[in-house]
Amino acid sequence: MKQGLKQRLQRVVPGGGDQELAERVARLEREVADLRRHNLRLAELADVVQELLVPMAQRDQERVDAAIAAFQDAL
Amino acid sequence: MLDLRVRRVDADGVGLVVLGSDRVVDVLFDGRRIWSFWVRRDTEPGRGAARPVRTVGWPPAMRPHLSGTGSVTLRDHVSGADVWSGEVRFTDDDRRVEFVDRQGHPIALDKANRFSPVFSERTAADLDPLLDAMTELLEVLAGAGVAAFPAYGTLLGAVREGDFLGHDSDADLGYVSSRSNPVDVIRESFELQRVVAAAGYRTYRYSGLAFRVDVVEADGATRFLDVFGGFLDGGRLYLMGEVGTPFERDWLLPLGTVSLRGRDYPAPARPEKLLEAMYGPSWKVPDPAFKFETPRETTEVLNQWFRGTGHARRDWERRAAQRRRRPVPKGSSALAKQLRRGEAEGTTVLDVGAGRGRDALWLARQGFPTTAYDFAPRGLEKARRTARRRDLPLEVRALNLDEWRWVLSEGARMSRAGDGPRAMLARHVLDATDELGRQSLGRLASMSLRGGGRLYVQTWTGKGRGGAGLVPVRTKQVQKLVERHGGTVLDVSESLGGGSDGGKGSVGRVVAQWR
Repeated sequence: MKQGLKQRLQRVVPGGGDQELAERVARLEREVADLRRHNLRLAELADVVQELLVPMAQRDQERVDAAIAAFQDAL
Repeated sequence: MLDLRVRRVDADGVGLVVLGSDRVVDVLFDGRRIWSFWVRRDTEPGRGAARPVRTVGWPPAMRPHLSGTGSVTLRDHVSGADVWSGEVRFTDDDRRVEFVDRQGHPIALDKANRFSPVFSERTAADLDPLLDAMTELLEVLAGAGVAAFPAYGTLLGAVREGDFLGHDSDADLGYVSSRSNPVDVIRESFELQRVVAAAGYRTYRYSGLAFRVDVVEADGATRFLDVFGGFLDGGRLYLMGEVGTPFERDWLLPLGTVSLRGRDYPAPARPEKLLEAMYGPSWKVPDPAFKFETPRETTEVLNQWFRGTGHARRDWERRAAQRRRRPVPKGSSALAKQLRRGEAEGTTVLDVGAGRGRDALWLARQGFPTTAYDFAPRGLEKARRTARRRDLPLEVRALNLDEWRWVLSEGARMSRAGDGPRAMLARHVLDATDELGRQSLGRLASMSLRGGGRLYVQTWTGKGRGGAGLVPVRTKQVQKLVERHGGTVLDVSESLGGGSDGGKGSVGRVVAQWR
């Protein structure tokens, strides 16, 4: 994909053969990859909060233990 | 067959003259298919004058079985015509080549060139529990609001042959979520795994969008059902783990049915469209040596969204499985001895990345209540049994540093578990995991060592040879990690040649504390 995109840019952008342009494309690709990786982390955080926050807020020792045990049983 | 001639079949492999197009050849021993290969794709061309001769070696998994003499047949998979047959002497041993597992079940190589009992060897009584489990699992998933269906090889077998593919070894289910962004479909997959686990199945997560369900069959063999999630977004279907392609919603819904060994299962409205997305336009032609040729763009986007939840976990699991019957090595590492000298009696020890549990078992013997963590906990089974037999204070727990859910829930559990002093041992963990895993260890230390607990770290720092799968981690990096997670470094040392561990590489040790 990297190569294809670079070649296409070289055709449509005046002076697009520049090293600078290639570097910008590579950087954008890295940034897209970084952003995509946040999806999994965000989903994990939301899952922990949803499953464990409520029993913890209730300060019920047994419920918290049970909630953590049940959570870890399905990881 | 004029366009394919076999030159030799011997202890090294097969030599062929291939003049025609690429095709699949099955290799049979005593009339039973063991392996299949493509005559061009999977072979190497000869050099110089021998150029038309192509050769292929026996797959590594097959080699241990090749002792004695065997009756070998090479058969064109599609036409069923025999290309070659004869007796082959692999070694001088006075025995026949056999392909059976420990229980005596016939085995063959699946498409990943791994040995497993294949469906074609199994009777109705063997397969009924898997069909039952598929039905039950589909109901469990339907109860959670997801319309799943047989996918990948299972769908292919059902559509093409009304049966499991003989060379396949597991069953796959897929579903297409009603949600349309990665965060939501991952959360849904987490929830589905909880629902399946609550129904009594053992589960194992592969990635943010796929998990496995273990089904124990009538003969005690465990079969694996994989559950792959997918979603439609902007006219494209993404289905874990190989599909990212333009797709119409009405090719999927409303679901139709497909027949598998006489039973009806749900299927996409146009199963052929999904099969083409999975296997390409030639899906109708049988190929027991099939390899996915997923476009790089699809692999990249699926990797970035969903994968990365277990750095080198397969390798560690394989190592753990290979060594699980051997006794736990005696003695302890220099780092464990350092911990014993530095910590008061009765300190609770968390040994993260405990491997086979040598240090954990030794520390438990010294009277430290110890928890041994590993993301391949099978390797700790022997240590756990030894501890139970000798009444030693050792607990074994699974922990995956590449999943925040493991780390955060374990940190929460530890932060609530008693007030006594605590120490964490992390020997060759930071250098065996990835950056996410390193940060997770820092986070776990910060959550479970607050109030004076100490962390003992050892890593390979890059000189000489490190162990298998290790990357260099310098003491400076460890110090930075500790500080980033709120700890204070107490001691740093580095030695060439593994210190008193007798290794060959340079190792760094860091001791840190959390207030």
